Amino acid sequence: MRDMSRLLDIGLEQLTSIVLKMGEAAEKAVRTSIAGFMGGQDVSEQVSELSEMLVTMTVTVEDKAFELIVKYQPVASDLRIINSYMKIAYDFERYGRYAWDISLTHQRFAASRKCVHNEDLMEKMVDKTLHMVRKSIEALRDNNGEMVKSLAETENEVDKIYSSYLDILAETPLAAEGGICNLLVIRYLERIADHATYVGEAIYYIATGEKIILR
Amino acid sequence: MTNLKMSNKNKDTTINIEQVRPDAKMQSIALSAWFGSKQALKDINLTVKANAVTAIIGPSGCGKSTFIRCLNRMHELVPNARMSGQVLLDGKNIYGNETDPVQIRRRVGMVFQKPNPFPTMSIFDNVAAGLKLTGTKKGQNLNEIVKKSLQQATLWDEVKDDLKKPGTSISGGQQQRLCIARAIALQPEVILMDEPCSALDPVATAKIEELIVSLKHDYTVAIVTHNMQQAARVSDFTAFLYLGELVEYGDTRSMFENPKSEITEKYITGKFG
Amino acid sequence: MINYTLRKFKNRLFFVLCAVCVTIAVIPLLSILYEVVSRGAPQLSINFLTQKDADGGIGPAIQGTFILIGLTSVIGIPVGVLSGVYLAEFGNNKYAASIRTVNDVLTEFPSIVVGITAFGVVVLGIMGSYSPLAGAVALSFILIPIVARTTEESLKLVPNSVREAALALGVHKWRTTLSVVLPAAKGGLVTGTLLAIARIAGETAPLIMTVLGNAYFFQGFSSPMDALPLRIWRDSLQPYANLQAQGWGAALVLILIVLSLNIAVRMASRGRLRR
Repeated sequence: MRDMSRLLDIGLEQLTSIVLKMGEAAEKAVRTSIAGFMGGQDVSEQVSELSEMLVTMTVTVEDKAFELIVKYQPVASDLRIINSYMKIAYDFERYGRYAWDISLTHQRFAASRKCVHNEDLMEKMVDKTLHMVRKSIEALRDNNGEMVKSLAETENEVDKIYSSYLDILAETPLAAEGGICNLLVIRYLERIADHATYVGEAIYYIATGEKIILR
Repeated sequence: MTNLKMSNKNKDTTINIEQVRPDAKMQSIALSAWFGSKQALKDINLTVKANAVTAIIGPSGCGKSTFIRCLNRMHELVPNARMSGQVLLDGKNIYGNETDPVQIRRRVGMVFQKPNPFPTMSIFDNVAAGLKLTGTKKGQNLNEIVKKSLQQATLWDEVKDDLKKPGTSISGGQQQRLCIARAIALQPEVILMDEPCSALDPVATAKIEELIVSLKHDYTVAIVTHNMQQAARVSDFTAFLYLGELVEYGDTRSMFENPKSEITEKYITGKFG
Repeated sequence: MINYTLRKFKNRLFFVLCAVCVTIAVIPLLSILYEVVSRGAPQLSINFLTQKDADGGIGPAIQGTFILIGLTSVIGIPVGVLSGVYLAEFGNNKYAASIRTVNDVLTEFPSIVVGITAFGVVVLGIMGSYSPLAGAVALSFILIPIVARTTEESLKLVPNSVREAALALGVHKWRTTLSVVLPAAKGGLVTGTLLAIARIAGETAPLIMTVLGNAYFFQGFSSPMDALPLRIWRDSLQPYANLQAQGWGAALVLILIVLSLNIAVRMASRGRLRR
């Protein structure tokens, strides 16, 4: 029973490479925007470029996926891959979008100065989010369905940090612009973390065929 | 697990009650089949659920046709063919000593790969042939039955004015629907189809697929097909046979979305022929 | 360039060679037809065809030939067809294989031997005298193997899918053969039978020892009877010119009978092919 290489395989390879490139770009966008925020620099132009590129690539992925469906009527793992990659492309586009939102927020409220409110919490938040972004891309690259569990755990921790920050803000009035800026940014980080979990769930689906929801 | 004895003559009719599924119209238990010394089927345990379409897929030579021919005792008509195991129809073994194969074939009808209407008979006579030649026509209104069968086979509108024309004068797709009408006229309980669309063009195929789906309300259908997309389109359950063995069986959606066996996965994604 | 001319020449040569051979092969047939028609046609008249020998006719011979064809058909066709059915539908075993071999031998059997056998069994044994029945039996020995073989072949031409369709409906095997397979093979059966009859119509040797010949019309099953081949043979041995001429007339009638059977076969098959 020798494996035949199929026409579909060429298409799948192309699809995979676009999605992996999106992952790279998305991770870069997130890192850049966070570095800008934590370091007090305006990086909105760079991040905006990356985000736009991600939007275009999402359309390309959708297009390619549909082409494969129309031509090859894929089933089983092929179908699951195509389905999941479309979702993951959207999740990566969201990384880029939220990264852009972070950089824009920073630009609006702080521009070239730093406005981190609670340094401690914010650093933890940033760490965990970047960790999740990294892990989600690794999960995709290695087709590791098991990663979803650790992603879900980290997401829980991110949620906890988020709620404790909300509690802190509730005590302190939002007087300084720093408050609004931090609130918005931490919200965007929490959303990025959510999407990283979705990526994990999509990869789990490819591996096992099960639709798992661990949010 | 079983207390069945494997024998050529099926002298033993002991059936382990736990094995008999209540929703099964037909069920094979440890079914093996040979052509001379070559074994075509190995120990197949497969259920054909009532009022549903079960597709049987697999690469060429995997035993799919042999399997369904065991379901209506057509396998034994081949010289040097033999089988062992049991095939249950409504819980009773069709290979039992007192069972007449001819009676079984009236309850389990078959449609073949190449349409084969009787060449010397008209369309009407073809549909009525089953009734006339098996003597089951006594006291029945043939006209009514022929019309109803042709309607169920979605052929009535196309031939209602030409019933006296020879059965071979219509197109391939229509001939196949004629064969289906002929099988239906006997009111079988099960309809077996051996690659019924392989010899047909896509439009005729689509018509027959629609017909198959509509048939399951009144009949149990088992269809052998080498076209996996067809299996996905028309069937509720799918069985995958490979090298004479049943590799996987399940509801069609799960089988095509997330097959359990790696061999199944490789076959349906086309990674091997 | 030269090669091409050479090839053309070779092609031409081959073609001419074949055409010449075909012409040579046809010449005997044409010459026979010419002789028979030119010598026999003047003899034809109502009187000639219906009167007995003494009145200058070959009526008894024509009647005898038709009686023989009839009797032989009654005996031989059912046996031949059913044998063919057995061989085709149920003949997948050693017994059938040996029957087939015997059958093939019988089709080529020397007809004089068939005649002598019928003489011994029927004329000397059963009937005690020359008899049309003996003649019919002898001709049946020749007819049956031919009909059996052509029946078997016609039935084998019926695609197996048709049988399977009937069997899958739950029709018994005998009913399938009778109502589905035989009608489908009808054309071939008719052709084979007609050709076999055309063959036995002209057989002479078996008739010599069994019906002998007679100057009068049919006189019962225990008497000799006349037939066209016998008449032709007798007349050709006579020293009288007018009797020899009658022989030619009889020959023409016999050829016409055989020819019409062959034409009937042609027309029957053409009808089938067109459909």
